[in-house]
Amino acid sequence: MSSEIRRTLTRRDALRLLGVTTAAVGLNIGAPALAAPTGEVKIGLAAEPNTFDPHLTVGRNTQIFIANVYDGLTARDGQGNLVPALAESWKRSSPTTWQFALRRRVKFHNGDDFNAESVKFTLDRATNPETKATISSELSTISATEIVDPYTVNVVTKTPDFLLPVRLGELFGLMLSPKHTNAAGKEAIAIKPNGTGPFKLLSWAKNERLVLEANENYWRGAPSVKTLVVRPILEDAARIAALQAGEVDLIAPIPHVRIAELQRNDKLVVKTIAAPRIFHVTIDVRKPPFDNVKVRQALNYAVDVNVILKTLYFGHGTRLATVVDKGALGYDPSVQPYPYDPNKAKALLTEAGFPNGFETEFDSFTGSIADHSKPAEAIAGYLQKVGIKTKLNVFEFSAFGPRRVQNQTSPLFIYSIGDAYLEPSWVIRWLTQGGLGMHYKNPRLDEMLTRIEATDDPKKRAPQYSDVQKLIRDEAPFIFLYQADAAFGMSARVDYTPRPDETQWLYPLKLKG
Amino acid sequence: MRAYIAGRLAAAVLVILGVSVVSFVLTFLTGDPAEIMLPPGATAAQIAKFRADWGFDDPVFVQYWRFLKRAVYGDFGNSLRHGQPSLPLIAARLPATFQLTVTAMLLAIALAVPLGVLAAMRRGGPMDLLAMAVALIGQSVPNFWLAIMMILLFAVSWGLLPTSGRGGIAHVVMPAAAIAINLMALLTRLVRSTMIEMLSEDYVRTARAKGLRELFVTSRHALPNALIPLVTVVGLQFGYILGGAVVIETIFTWPGVGLFTIQAILNRDYPVVQASVFILATAVVLINLAVDLLYVWLDPRIRVT
Repeated sequence: MSSEIRRTLTRRDALRLLGVTTAAVGLNIGAPALAAPTGEVKIGLAAEPNTFDPHLTVGRNTQIFIANVYDGLTARDGQGNLVPALAESWKRSSPTTWQFALRRRVKFHNGDDFNAESVKFTLDRATNPETKATISSELSTISATEIVDPYTVNVVTKTPDFLLPVRLGELFGLMLSPKHTNAAGKEAIAIKPNGTGPFKLLSWAKNERLVLEANENYWRGAPSVKTLVVRPILEDAARIAALQAGEVDLIAPIPHVRIAELQRNDKLVVKTIAAPRIFHVTIDVRKPPFDNVKVRQALNYAVDVNVILKTLYFGHGTRLATVVDKGALGYDPSVQPYPYDPNKAKALLTEAGFPNGFETEFDSFTGSIADHSKPAEAIAGYLQKVGIKTKLNVFEFSAFGPRRVQNQTSPLFIYSIGDAYLEPSWVIRWLTQGGLGMHYKNPRLDEMLTRIEATDDPKKRAPQYSDVQKLIRDEAPFIFLYQADAAFGMSARVDYTPRPDETQWLYPLKLKG
Repeated sequence: MRAYIAGRLAAAVLVILGVSVVSFVLTFLTGDPAEIMLPPGATAAQIAKFRADWGFDDPVFVQYWRFLKRAVYGDFGNSLRHGQPSLPLIAARLPATFQLTVTAMLLAIALAVPLGVLAAMRRGGPMDLLAMAVALIGQSVPNFWLAIMMILLFAVSWGLLPTSGRGGIAHVVMPAAAIAINLMALLTRLVRSTMIEMLSEDYVRTARAKGLRELFVTSRHALPNALIPLVTVVGLQFGYILGGAVVIETIFTWPGVGLFTIQAILNRDYPVVQASVFILATAVVLINLAVDLLYVWLDPRIRVT
C-alpha cells in the first residue's frame, strides 16, 4: 500500500500531505480523521452481545459486535481482505511458530499500554482450561505464547496452523489488558470491557440499550460519530417499524420478505451483503445408495435451487456450486452449479439401479439463527418429483444438536455453516470431519487441502482452490444450495457500508451533512 | 389464621420445588447448551470435551442435586450466557415486568368494571350489546397480532407512541394494552353476570323499596358484592398475565423477566431458567395467597377455622 502511494506521489502532493500531517500533529490528533467525533446514531439490532468478555462469547451475534470495543492482531478491510491491526506484520518463522510484530503506542481505553505482555496474557487466558472459554475450540492449536521483546511475540502451535493470523483477528483474537482484567475480575469484564477498539462501552442495560462512545485516541483515528445507542429490538416487525418511525437510523437484519417494500421507501436505504453462511444438505455417503456418486449427483440435478432462492428469499441470495462461498478466498465462479434437470436426475438414478427411486429420511430443524425448515420442505418436494420419497423430520435446534453429536442424523440433513474465516479449507475440513453426521472422506481432497494449508501467502493459496471446488462439485457429497443475503436498513441521515464478513463494524459509520 | 398462613407458605415451598424439578427436567430433555455455546466450527470431539468440562454429560438428577445444594443458599449459579449470577439478573428485571403487568391489570379493571356494570344495568339494551361485542372481540383477538397492528398504527403511521423498548409512560401504553385486552374482556363478562345476579338479590330489592336512588343502590349495595369474584379471578389470572407478558415483552423488547426467560430457555441457560422459575413461581404463589387473605377481609362470611 505505502509503496503504491510513493510511486504515484508528485512533489505537490507530497507537500500537501506534509502540510496536512503537520496540521494534524499540531492539533495533537495524529490520526487520519481530522475532525472530532460528533453526533449520535441510534441502532436497532436483532440481538445484543451476551458478554463483552471475548473468551466467553456465545454465537455470531456477539462476535460480530464486540469488535467495536476491542481489536484483534489482524482485521478485515471493507472487501474482506485480511489486514494488519494490533499486529503490523506477521510471518511463520517455523512450521509451528507464527511471529507477530506489534503496533506501538496503542493504548487501552483506560490508558494501559498494549504490548507483547497483553498478547501473551490474552492468549494464555483464552487457552487456560480454567477460563472455560467458549471459543477454546477455535484456538485449540495454540500451545504457547512467547514474548520475544516488548513488541514481538511468537505464538507456537501444536501442529502447523496456516489460519492462525485469521483466528487472531476480530473473531477470536481480541486483546485484553492484563492489569485491568486481573483487577476487575471475570464477572466485571463481561459488562465493563477495556479494549483498544474505536468505541468505549459507556453503559449497558441488558435487553434495553447499550451506549458506545467514540475512543478519541483510537490508533486508526477517532471514529466520525461520537455516540452510538444500540437497542436490541428482537421482533422483526418492531425493528422495521422503529426505522420507519425514525426512532433509529440503522437496523439489521431485515427479513427477506420485507426488503423490497423498504427499498421502495425513498426515505430509507437498504444495503445487502452476501452473508458467508453456506446452506447445504449433508449426504451420509456411508449409507447405500448414497455411496454411489451417481445418486448424489442425481440429488443435485433434482433440486431447483434458483426457484427456492426466488420464492423463499425473494431473490436475495447467491446460488453456490459447492460449499465455497462467494466471499471466500479462491472462490471460482467458473465452477458452475448443477443445473436443474429432473430428467438427468432420473437417468442417473436409473443408471445407479433405482429407476423407481427409493425411500429415505431427511432431517431439518427450527429455532436456529436462520430458517432451515422451509428450504428443507422445498427440497423434499423436488426429490419426490424424481421418485425419492423422503420422511421429513423437523427438530428443535437444541434437540437436533445432540443428534448430530451422537451421529444419529438421517442420511440427509440440511445445515448451514458460517464461513467466519472466509477460507474454504476451514469449511471443508469441518464438513469432512468424520463426525457430527458428516462422513465424506477423500484422500485426494485431503492431499490438496494439506498442500494449500502449507501455503502462507493468501494470493498463492487462492488459485489452488479451483481444483478443490471442481472435485467437490463432481463428487457431490452434499446437495449444494446457496448463501442468503443479509440486509441492513438505514435512514438517509447515515452513511454506512456493511462488511461482507458480517461483522457489524461501526467504525466507518458517518452522519451525512 | 397464623397457622393457616404458615401452612400455605409450607405448601408454597413444595410447589416451588415441584415447579423447579419439572422445569429442570424439561429443559434437559430438549437438549443441552453445548452446541449453542460453542462456535459453529467446533468438532464433535471439542463438543464432547466441552460437555464434560461443564458437567452437561452427567445424569439429569446428578445435575439437579448439584443445582439444589447451592440454590438453598440462594446461589443459582452464574448464567452460562451472561457469566453473571442468575438471581440478581432476573431480580433486576422484576420492576419492568411489574410495571407492565400491573399497568395492564389496572387498565383491564378500569375498563371492565364500568363497562360490565353499565351492561348489567341496561341489560339487553344497546350498551349491553356494545359491552358484549367488546368482550367478544377482546377475547378472540390474538394479542401478538394486536401488538403489531398497534405498532403500525400508533407508532409508524401516526407517530404518537414509541415502537418498542422501555422509557417513559408512553412506552408502556401499547404493551400494557396488548396484555390487558384479553383480561378486560374476561372481566367485563364477569362483572356483568355477577352484577345481574346481585341486582336481583333480596337486599337490592329492599334498598330500592326504601326509596334509595338507583345509582346508590347499584354502587353502594350491589357493586361491592359483585367485585368479590373479580378479586379471585384477577388473582388467578396473574399467572396467565405473566405468561402473556412473555409474548408481549418479546414483541416490544420490553426488558422484563418474560423476555429474559424466553431467551434463557432458547439458549438452554439453566441457571437463569431456574432462577426465573423460582422467582415467578414464588410471585404467583404469594399473590394467590394474598388474594385468599383479601377475600377473607372482603367477605366477612368466609372465615378460616
